[in-house]
Amino acid sequence: MSLSLLIILSFALFTIGLIGVLTKRNVLVFFLSIEMILNSANLLFIAFAREWGNMTGHVWVFFVLVLAAVEAAVGFAIVIHIFRSKRIVDIDQINLLKG
Amino acid sequence: MSLFLAFLLILSASGILIAKRPVYAALSFLGTLMLLAVHYLLLSAEFIAVMQILVYAGAILVLFIFVMMLFQDAYAEIHKAVAQSSKVLICFAASAFVVGVGFVLTRVSQIPTHFSAPLTEGFGQARALGKALYIDFFFPFEAVLLLFLVGIVGAVYIGKRTPEK
Repeated sequence: MSLSLLIILSFALFTIGLIGVLTKRNVLVFFLSIEMILNSANLLFIAFAREWGNMTGHVWVFFVLVLAAVEAAVGFAIVIHIFRSKRIVDIDQINLLKG
Repeated sequence: MSLFLAFLLILSASGILIAKRPVYAALSFLGTLMLLAVHYLLLSAEFIAVMQILVYAGAILVLFIFVMMLFQDAYAEIHKAVAQSSKVLICFAASAFVVGVGFVLTRVSQIPTHFSAPLTEGFGQARALGKALYIDFFFPFEAVLLLFLVGIVGAVYIGKRTPEK
């Protein structure tokens, strides 16, 4: 397990998440892609924590985990609210803020 | 071995992009989480690996699947058509990936191939992480707790409001 492989792996996960965010119109798959981007950052944090023998990276991964949980809770609250009032899960049709 | 694990990880992650139904995307995300936990274990981050399974697979993914069941069209197929502007953005993302990988590969001789840093006693275990959280990162820890509280209150508030028809 070498550091350069882990960096490339993290890039790949980030790109997969980014492509998901850019192309998926189902709001649930959109959220999954965001979680994938967060996970790519986590992998990089853990890899460099191991490289330098320092626990600080683990602390930030812990914070990112909490952030992901909060983001999922608030995001789903909004999604369920929109679904109850408009019956849509397609993010292209959610345009309440459009001027 | 590590190449095989990396291949499996990328395979299960791309399952999210190619899955026809949201539930399959969620299952493929579960596989990705498990493989990431294996990577964390190999990088001697035991506590984070366990937290990954508990928090992501145990809480966040269950929330995903719960919402999918609530929407009733969890088994409905995802729209296949991709907008023209999205194709340009995909090309942009893919080229950014290629540039990033190229950047790493040109410097691969400067990147150490094996982890050589000496690990402190109990590295990656709950005690060391707890010490770091409560001594070095006490203020960010409390700030994250406040964020959590605000998030839960906000989620309950948005969820309780009855939508106007």
